[in-house]
Amino acid sequence: MPRKSAGLLIAALVALSAVLAACGSSGSSGAAASSPKVLKVWWYEGPGSAYQIAWDQAIADFKKQHPGVTVQFSLKSFNQMQQNASMILNSSDVPDVMEYNKGDATAGLLSKQGLLTDLTPEATKYGWDKLLGPDLQVTAKYDAKGVMGSGSWYGVSDYAEYLTVYYNKALFAKYGVSVPTTMAQLTAAMAKFVKAGVTPFANAGNDYMAMQYLYEMELSQATPQDVQHYERYTGAVDFHDAAWTNAVKTFQDWVNKGYIAKDSVGLTATQAGNDFETGKNPMLMSGSWWAGTFESDIKNFSWGTFLWPGNTLNAGSGGNLFVVPKNAASKQLAYDFINDTLQPDVQKLLANNGAVPVAATPSGVTNPLNAQLIQNFQTLANNNGLAYYPDWPTPSFYNLLLAQTQDLMNGASANQVLGTLQSNYDQYVSSLG
Amino acid sequence: MLAGTAPARIRIAPPRGRAGAGAGSTGTRGAGPYLTYLLPAAAAFTVVIAIPLVMNVYTSFTRWTGVGPRQWAGLANYRQLLHDSEFWASMWHSLALVAAMAVVPTVLGLLLAAALFDVIAKRFSPRVASLLRACIYLPQVLPIIVAAIVWSWILDPQYGALNVALRDVGLGFLAHDLLGDPHTALLTVMAVLIWFQLGYPVVIFMAGLQRTDPALGEAAEIDGATWRQRLWLVTVPQIRPEIYVVLLTCTVASLRTFGWIYALTTGGPGVATQVPSYYSYQSFFTNLDVGYGSAIATVMTLIILLVSIMFLWLQRRHAG
Repeated sequence: MPRKSAGLLIAALVALSAVLAACGSSGSSGAAASSPKVLKVWWYEGPGSAYQIAWDQAIADFKKQHPGVTVQFSLKSFNQMQQNASMILNSSDVPDVMEYNKGDATAGLLSKQGLLTDLTPEATKYGWDKLLGPDLQVTAKYDAKGVMGSGSWYGVSDYAEYLTVYYNKALFAKYGVSVPTTMAQLTAAMAKFVKAGVTPFANAGNDYMAMQYLYEMELSQATPQDVQHYERYTGAVDFHDAAWTNAVKTFQDWVNKGYIAKDSVGLTATQAGNDFETGKNPMLMSGSWWAGTFESDIKNFSWGTFLWPGNTLNAGSGGNLFVVPKNAASKQLAYDFINDTLQPDVQKLLANNGAVPVAATPSGVTNPLNAQLIQNFQTLANNNGLAYYPDWPTPSFYNLLLAQTQDLMNGASANQVLGTLQSNYDQYVSSLG
Repeated sequence: MLAGTAPARIRIAPPRGRAGAGAGSTGTRGAGPYLTYLLPAAAAFTVVIAIPLVMNVYTSFTRWTGVGPRQWAGLANYRQLLHDSEFWASMWHSLALVAAMAVVPTVLGLLLAAALFDVIAKRFSPRVASLLRACIYLPQVLPIIVAAIVWSWILDPQYGALNVALRDVGLGFLAHDLLGDPHTALLTVMAVLIWFQLGYPVVIFMAGLQRTDPALGEAAEIDGATWRQRLWLVTVPQIRPEIYVVLLTCTVASLRTFGWIYALTTGGPGVATQVPSYYSYQSFFTNLDVGYGSAIATVMTLIILLVSIMFLWLQRRHAG
């Protein structure tokens, strides 16, 4: 009799797995049967952001051009997409077009695994290859190994982003500081603020900001070739070279001198943003993506932006990509939608809401803050100065740089930090084969 | 392991007496009908624990980004673990958290429970003791993430209540970035964990004290035993089963600590508060090294199993 019940147990488990399998597949079979007259769009930019405002317009334009097509839009969260993208894209229940992070560890990885549609023919057909400059195309193209910068088009971005210095005009006036154009002027300005008991720069050690300061300092002495080596593995990277050594030393020096507060080591980007918004710190160096937030949040002082003084190379790139999953049901509609995001009306909305569109001139922009943001971007793009971001080379570099910059702020030896970066970087590059 | 050891002690014997005397059919049924009742639990165990565990162990022997095919890597991930200073740091931090979540709360909980039971309840009233017990237990009721976020506000170096209060009362020199300084970060996390965990042993021990024989304590008192002697020599031996349960569950909980680290420090500054579960999560989801994350998770599972077996063995030996 125990044998009988054991049999019963096995039968029940088999039945249960069958039920679970059926549950798992029901969604996909439903999706496979969906009509091609539906366009499914996913993105994760929050409501109220420049991107959402502009892309809503793209949907409206698309609907006008395709009267018989229903657009199904879903707002996702960044974490949801980052953690589940591969699983979702491996199924047949996929969106037709979705936003995804640019870079080797994200879009590159998906392209390498064959989960994305090659958009090269469409890039030529729609003229995206003319609209996006060479710097912006770097993050749209991935080779067979999933390394950005060459190969086929796997995504298209309709905006760009870069690191810039936000400054509080009221505090600059109060302490008699003018906008610096050289590093020497910036250093003098910071010394002035410190003397007055004000920490010049807001910073977040427990987020992406501290590593951005470090990278800008590195870029001040790096060559474009160094950047290509670092980001695209085109040559050996030596973290003990003059540029990196200068960066870690300068960063530590700034912390020691109080240009960056030591107790910002545990802060998040949101907290640093608040510090700038409340006037605690007169400057914040971070992404152009903060502009929209500051425009809506800061009411009691005027502010502006300037490029990191003295640098030709500056962190920045094309924005997140619109990609078309391999299993998308309505690919042609997806291409049309992507093309809509690049049209002048959508681009203008991006510009007027604090984003940097790939194809807009400052002349059409009403808000002077946004015009300045776009003007500065064009300066960088014209000099081929976009140097991507420090955490891109390996999937673990974000966590590693975060921890290492925290260690630097807490007085770790510069040499030790550079050694850790070197060994992790080399280990990853050798694993690429 | 719990599932494996429990049946050994509570053996369900077929109802032999009745089977022999009754009508033939009941006698031949044996354990069959009972096993049927285990079906739902066995199915849930298979789907929720066994299959994921086997998949995790398998993944730990592969290189995998989480997308596409897994590449067999043999013991490469485990070899990497042996030489990974961050992993070893996280293991040491785990030991510190065992102290904060198991050892200290057990000792303090014992003292507090005895004080509430012996002193407060007798000198004031049982109601006062119950009220204090509830207050001490309160942190346990809060969701970990909520409590951790509130603590991160309190400990914020610039605007946090702690530093602001210190400055306001003229003790500004004591204000410190507790979570940002690698020398104090782990100790601060430990202190928060003690606050959080303390209520659990207090409640369990007070329940245990209810069933102790008061006559033994009174006899010891008449014989001139001090309060400390009575606690250590009379009370503790009587509530030993509770102490084992508390130590086991708290140790396992401390080895699994994730939410506190996630919300308070994300393992930083540097790797000063890194713990294996958070490191495993980072390897999985941000470093895209799923094989390595699985190896960390497998090692932690083995350690938790070993700790559980050890405690159960000790408990049985003392009970026997």
